[in-house]
This record gives sequence, structure tokens and C-alpha cells, in this order.
Amino acid sequence: MTHQAHAYHMVDPSPWPLTGAVAALLMTSGLAVWFHFHSTTLMALGTVLLLLTMYQWWRDIIREGTFQGHHTPPVQKGLRYGMILFITSEVFFFLGFFWAFYHASLAPTPELGGCWPPTGITTLDPFEVPLLNTAVLLASGVTVTWAHHSIMEGERKQAIHSLTLTILLGFYFTFLQGLEYYDAPFTIADGVYGSTFFVATGFHGLHVIIGSTFLAVCLLRQIRYHFTSEHHFGFEAAAWYWHFVDVVWLFLYISIYWWGS
Amino acid sequence: LLIAVFHYYANCQQIMTRTPLASRSFSHGKVETDEEFDARWVTYFSKPDIDAWELKKGMNTLIGYDLVPEAKILDSALRACRRLDDLASAIRILEAVKDKSGPHKDIYPYLIQELGPTLAELGISTPEQLGIDKL
Repeated sequence: MTHQAHAYHMVDPSPWPLTGAVAALLMTSGLAVWFHFHSTTLMALGTVLLLLTMYQWWRDIIREGTFQGHHTPPVQKGLRYGMILFITSEVFFFLGFFWAFYHASLAPTPELGGCWPPTGITTLDPFEVPLLNTAVLLASGVTVTWAHHSIMEGERKQAIHSLTLTILLGFYFTFLQGLEYYDAPFTIADGVYGSTFFVATGFHGLHVIIGSTFLAVCLLRQIRYHFTSEHHFGFEAAAWYWHFVDVVWLFLYISIYWWGS
Repeated sequence: LLIAVFHYYANCQQIMTRTPLASRSFSHGKVETDEEFDARWVTYFSKPDIDAWELKKGMNTLIGYDLVPEAKILDSALRACRRLDDLASAIRILEAVKDKSGPHKDIYPYLIQELGPTLAELGISTPEQLGIDKL
């Protein structure tokens, strides 16, 4: 049996980085093909390949960590750094869209009537569904913290319940936003108001869906006894991501829905 | 508070020469006088290399205050519009002034009269002259 004289994880050769890169290539060139030649085949192929890559790559990580014991404390530390850096990069991603919003709304151009909201735009009432959405996400922050404490205290049933509740709240948010999008009196094509509103809230919604999926995977793993009370970094990463999504929403709500109305 | 009230009624009664008290009454620290307020805004719009964003931002902030800007501030803003080749904003400023005057219908004609030479010099038509003052 081979041994290593260090606590780090030298990963076995894997095809998933390559398939991931190929997927990225097919998706991007597929996008161009769709624009010019009206065919979605290449892009669809790329997307399928991406989904397969994600599934298999993360499955392998779970195997390496949970079943093969490769996630020693220093390895876990590295994973923590990684998740923190990733979330930080996402913060900067959203910062860009907030910049765009404030640039447009602090100094509205004559084309908009020199005012914000622009002439002709009926904004959404921030104290209706958007406020409910705020409450939903804040509540989900509470339930995910409850889930974390349940896991740490070995309360299996409670962990499953609170994690399920968190995911349901996430779905409820997505559902409500979907209704809002459908019933909104303005579209993405309605000037810079429409652009900033739908791009910022749209990417946020996408992140809610990603976060909900991440939490759902954690739920599945919790049910299958993957987590211990001491070691459950996958869940922590999902919880961090979920809090990040919540914070972004709070900024969106204050800036675009409330101040921007 | 008394000064603010006085200014409000003075405003109603006479041709406007003074803006209502714009600065806030702090419990401590220096309170900005009307002259200082006006000078600050004239300086803001007088920046030679003011950019389009700063012009629009300045106008939006100014219009957000509970007052109608003095002619000298508007003059400075109109000249900034000229430097930026922004006729649309120049005319919009006049519309905003009329809107800010609210029920005090004498303010707008007075300011148009005060700004007359500047409007002529810069070639800015009023909304009335363009026929766009009626919806």
C-alpha cells in the first residue's frame, strides 16, 4: 500500500477539467452559432456536457472526502479558502451591476427626463411582494443557521427538517420573483431602468437557484449520513453561499426596489 | 425655524429674491448660509471640465432640495450645458425650475426674465417658445 509523507491531497488524474473546458467552448461558440445561424444544437450540447461535468466532478470530490478520507484538516482549510475566494469574486461580479445602476440612477440622462425613476416607468411597490421576498430570504437565513447547529449537535431529524425548510423558502422566493417578473409593468427592453433592474435581479435569481440546488445536494447528503457533527464543510460552504445570496438581495432591495422607486 | 417660516411667507408675497432656507438646522456645527449654499453650487457647475455625469448628478441633487435655485446657480448650470453641448438638459433645467416652483406661479417668469440675457447668449429656447410646455 502506498503512503504519503504529508497531509495534503494529490488528486488522481481526472477527465472532468477537460470536459468542463470543452463544455465552455461549445457553449460559447454555440451561443455565436445561435446568434448567426439560428441553431441551438451546439449550445445545447455544451450545456449538457457542462451539467455532466459538474455532476461527476462534484460526485468525485464527495467520494474523495467522505468515503476515502482525503479531506484532512489542511485540505479542508484549502477548500475553505477556495470557497471564500469564489464568493468574493461573485461579490465583485454583483458590484459591477450595482455600479451600473448607480451610474444611471444618480445622474439620469435627458432621454429619461432627467429623473429617476425615468419618465413613463411604473415601479413596483417595494412594500408589496419585494418586502415579502425580503422576509422569505431572511427567514431562510435563520433556518439554514438552525440546520447548521442541528448538524453540529448531532440532531439528525432537526437538521433534515430545517434544511428542507430552507430549501422550500428558497423555492418560494423564486416562485414569487417569477410572478413579479411576469406581472411587471416594464420589461428588460425599457431603457436603462429595465436593463439595470432585470440584469441585477435576474443574476440574483439565478444565484438563488444555484444556492437552492447546492442546499438540496446537502440535504441529500445529510439524509445519507455523509456529514458528521465535526466535519461537514460541504454544508458550511452551501450555507455561506446562501448567506451571500441573502445579503445581495438586501442590497438589491434597498437600492433598486426602495431607493430607486 | 422662525427664519424658515419668515422666508416662506416672504417668498409668497414678493418677487423672489431670496431662496427659502436650504441648509439644515444642525444642533451643533456650522450652518450654511444662503450665500454659501449658492456659491457652492455656482462653483460646482463652473468647473471648466465638468463632465456629463457630474452635470446630471448635480442637477438631480439640486432639484431634490426644498427650494428653487437662484438665477446665478441656474446660469452656471446652463453654461455647463453649453460646454457639454447638451441643449436637452438646458431646456430640461427650465422645466424643472417651473416644476419646483409649485403653486408659486410668479417664480418661473421672474427667473426666465433674469436669465434672459444668458438664454439669448447661449441660444437656449424656453419650453414655451418651443411649444412643449403644454402636454
